[in-house]
Amino acid sequence: MERRAKKRGRSATWGGALAVGLTLAMVASHPATAQVGNGPDKPEADKISNDNPARPFQLPPASAEVKEALDDFERFGRRGAWERALKSLFSIPDAQSGRFIDGEHGFVIPIARKRHALLTSLPPDGQAAYQVFHDADAKKIFEEADGPNQLKDLERIYSLYFTTTIGDNAADRLGDLYFELGRFDRAADTWLAVVRERPDTDLSIALVSLKAALALHRAGRSGEFAQVRADLKAKHDDESVSVGGVSGKPTEVLAKLVGDDAQAPIEAAKPAPSAEGTIQLGEAVDVAWQTKFAQTVEAGMTPLEATQWDNNNLSTAVPGVAVGGQTLYVNYLGYAFAVDLKTGKMLWRSASFHMLDVVAMQQQAQMIDATRFSVVASEELAWFVGRDLKDQNMFGPFRLTCRRAAGGDVAWKSDDLSDYATYDLFGPPLLADGKLYIIAKSLHNPQQQDLAKQYVLAIRPEDGKILWKSEIGTFRQGQQMYSYYNPTKDSSPHPRLLLHAGSLYVDTHAGVLARLDAESGVLEWGYGYKTEAVQGQDQFFYYMPPSDPATASAAPLRLGDALLVKGAKSDQIEAVDPNRMAVVWERPISKSSRVLGTDGRTIYLAGPELSALDLDSKRLLWATKVPGGSLDARVLLRPDGIWQLTPRGVFEIDPKSGDVRRIFRGGDLGSVGGDLILTDRWLISVSNRTISAYPRRADSNLRASHD
Amino acid sequence: MTKTTVAATLIGLASLLPTTAAHAQFFGQQPASSGSENMEGFTVSGKGTVAARPDAVEIDLEVSAASELTADAIVKYRDARKKLQEAFANLKLANVSVGERGLLVDKKGQMQSPYFFGGMQNNSRAKVEVQLSRKLVVKATGLRQMEEEKVLQQVSRLLDVAQDAGAKVGGAEMNPYYYYRFGMEQNAAGLIRFVLDDFDKLEEEAYDKAIADARARATRLARLSGVELGPVVGVREVNVPADHMTSADGEVPRKRLETSRFQEIPIKVELMVRFEVLAKPDAKGRVGQ
Repeated sequence: MERRAKKRGRSATWGGALAVGLTLAMVASHPATAQVGNGPDKPEADKISNDNPARPFQLPPASAEVKEALDDFERFGRRGAWERALKSLFSIPDAQSGRFIDGEHGFVIPIARKRHALLTSLPPDGQAAYQVFHDADAKKIFEEADGPNQLKDLERIYSLYFTTTIGDNAADRLGDLYFELGRFDRAADTWLAVVRERPDTDLSIALVSLKAALALHRAGRSGEFAQVRADLKAKHDDESVSVGGVSGKPTEVLAKLVGDDAQAPIEAAKPAPSAEGTIQLGEAVDVAWQTKFAQTVEAGMTPLEATQWDNNNLSTAVPGVAVGGQTLYVNYLGYAFAVDLKTGKMLWRSASFHMLDVVAMQQQAQMIDATRFSVVASEELAWFVGRDLKDQNMFGPFRLTCRRAAGGDVAWKSDDLSDYATYDLFGPPLLADGKLYIIAKSLHNPQQQDLAKQYVLAIRPEDGKILWKSEIGTFRQGQQMYSYYNPTKDSSPHPRLLLHAGSLYVDTHAGVLARLDAESGVLEWGYGYKTEAVQGQDQFFYYMPPSDPATASAAPLRLGDALLVKGAKSDQIEAVDPNRMAVVWERPISKSSRVLGTDGRTIYLAGPELSALDLDSKRLLWATKVPGGSLDARVLLRPDGIWQLTPRGVFEIDPKSGDVRRIFRGGDLGSVGGDLILTDRWLISVSNRTISAYPRRADSNLRASHD
Repeated sequence: MTKTTVAATLIGLASLLPTTAAHAQFFGQQPASSGSENMEGFTVSGKGTVAARPDAVEIDLEVSAASELTADAIVKYRDARKKLQEAFANLKLANVSVGERGLLVDKKGQMQSPYFFGGMQNNSRAKVEVQLSRKLVVKATGLRQMEEEKVLQQVSRLLDVAQDAGAKVGGAEMNPYYYYRFGMEQNAAGLIRFVLDDFDKLEEEAYDKAIADARARATRLARLSGVELGPVVGVREVNVPADHMTSADGEVPRKRLETSRFQEIPIKVELMVRFEVLAKPDAKGRVGQ
């Protein structure tokens, strides 16, 4: 470990000199803020443990026997009784390899990783004993590693026998295998392990470093890539290597394979076509088209019914929307419909909205969290997460329905597939790399007292087949819904997904950020951040003051090599380096804040107000309140401005100063606000009453109207 | 009628005597004096009424900000206050001003345990956020000379600006259950209040009118009685505007009238004035007889 730390320190020096990477620069220039979140200097009360019963969420824990085995290993190791120590370590059954135990800096890691770390940090006498006892076993597995079990066997060596004489070769082969599978993150990690943890290797460090650099580049880990490239130039540029038919000095080969502008990650966020160009809205812009779905609901209501509907929480529901091709798909309280983006005409809908108010008056409907209705879409299909309001079961699960873009026919629905029978789906799903990822919760069973578990499902979008499912952990809090006296909704924040460089990140918003391999679903680690438990019922007695409205949860946000994490119930914002498994910086922040986005210099936050946090100094630069706040709206964040739909129109805010530049009232006044979406042609506002499209440029609209 | 009945009747009447006396004493203080009062001079009532439209409108706004770090709360509070001040300044209306009340530094975020009465204590480790809040009062003056339409426009403009600036408009919101539980009436005040700020001046006018009215009545009585009216020897306030003092939020207490409606507000004064009677040189008899 010490050696590893030294190497890291050296790399960091080079990285600081060369990389423009924001994170590293931040760490170097602000040591005070670049504190490790869960370091040994932290008070015991602040340490986050997977086994702490006060935490609201627990990753699958290792058994007590495993923990005892690890304790035995440590105890015997201290005494130098390496045979007994190693025997304890090897007594851990394979089935427990994927269970989790506390690691360092707030990370919760699988037993396999823990075992690997313990073995690579053995002192010389322990290392010698280890090789004596296990070299033969390792060689045997290595020789037999072939065919369908090759990956599993090599993984076993990497976890159990990495420091044996063939451990480095196995890791190298494992890296090759992962690289071929497109799992660049994992490939980079295994090659980097050889470079950093096996200096005694017979392999060419230059070649392995070069391969690691390639994998890092493909994985978009720009900061580490810069470090490895700098190391190659400093230490190995007099050697010659050959990769992919290209031979020469390592840095030359690297330049040929990845280009000279390799400082930028390959997956650097580029604006989507629809986000390019400017938005120029003025007071003179007329609405191009408008879908007034709320009017359809309210048609024919008596004054009394209208009053009741207005006072029903469901009347303020802003529908979930998604753009697929030239169609806008809408999920309005479980009613699916499609709107032609050119004309605004409704193309189809799953059912009439008539009498929605009557259904909404039922107690079980009032217990539904309307923000859980969501939709994602491709050119041909759209996937709706929802449930039937008429379902009398107050614990009725949310289901997935796939509809065809043309006509809205049901292609498949999870109700028909037995694999989904025990899951309550939590949106919004993530459609990426030909898979549909969605978070699920095990169904509440009032007959059983077991706690709910959280899963991630990877689904084949065309037919709903579950490709893999992975358990993230168990909620320590029980059911959050009650129907005692007054119906109460489950106010738990929604978990969020982020897919990046072959890794799927899940922010549970219950105190854990988890990373999974997107291809296999293997849960790699979890990071525990400080959070408060969900308060399910805030006004048990009438004289209790109602709590403030909750801010919506946000997905983790990429910030250079790091991820910005802010749990919905957490009073900390943290930049976590998922590859180095360290906290880059952390800062207290209002619990009601959520992360909107970043431009690399500033982090933009929402909540009761919009605000901006300077990345360099971590100071709050400005805060601007807009009508109704920014608790859950989908805000447009661009270099040239910030736009938000409020009950008083679309507000345009200067991202540098926070000043309100313009207020575009639009045709959606009287709503509760809502979401903004930008397409090539339109700025689309989605409120609880209408979907309105405005031309992006005021001048073009004016010309058209004058013609 | 038996002796017993007579005795009972007498006792009953006797027991009524003190009551009657107290009653008479009570009414004796009223202006409509009974015949037993010793009348000297002319005692007349004078009424004066002045009606005026409110000359100002006030809108209460609240600027508040809370955060985990006090430095953040200060930035949020400072920006909210600055943006609100700037928004009204940008209106460039000479008759509009923004007044500030005291700054409140408080805590936010400590919630009572729902199961407190089940024996569970509040979570003592729950973190609290620092909250800064201040009441701002936007005031537009010179309404009396304006047409109602113009007043409406100005008020709506002020409300729009306040809401667009993200301010909380109106007074503090109370849990409606409190009103229900404790038999309180919900505050029916609107978003704004109209104010008679020159109340002292108008009250003075109403007093002037009341005295003049009393003098006119007394003069008529003197003329009809064939005597000469003397100077005022006594005045009693019968019905005068209550002292509407405002002293909320550290503001200097002062007299003013507030209303939620834009309409003429009457200020009524009723006085009881006693004038001395002077005998005419050619009159017979004693003055006062």
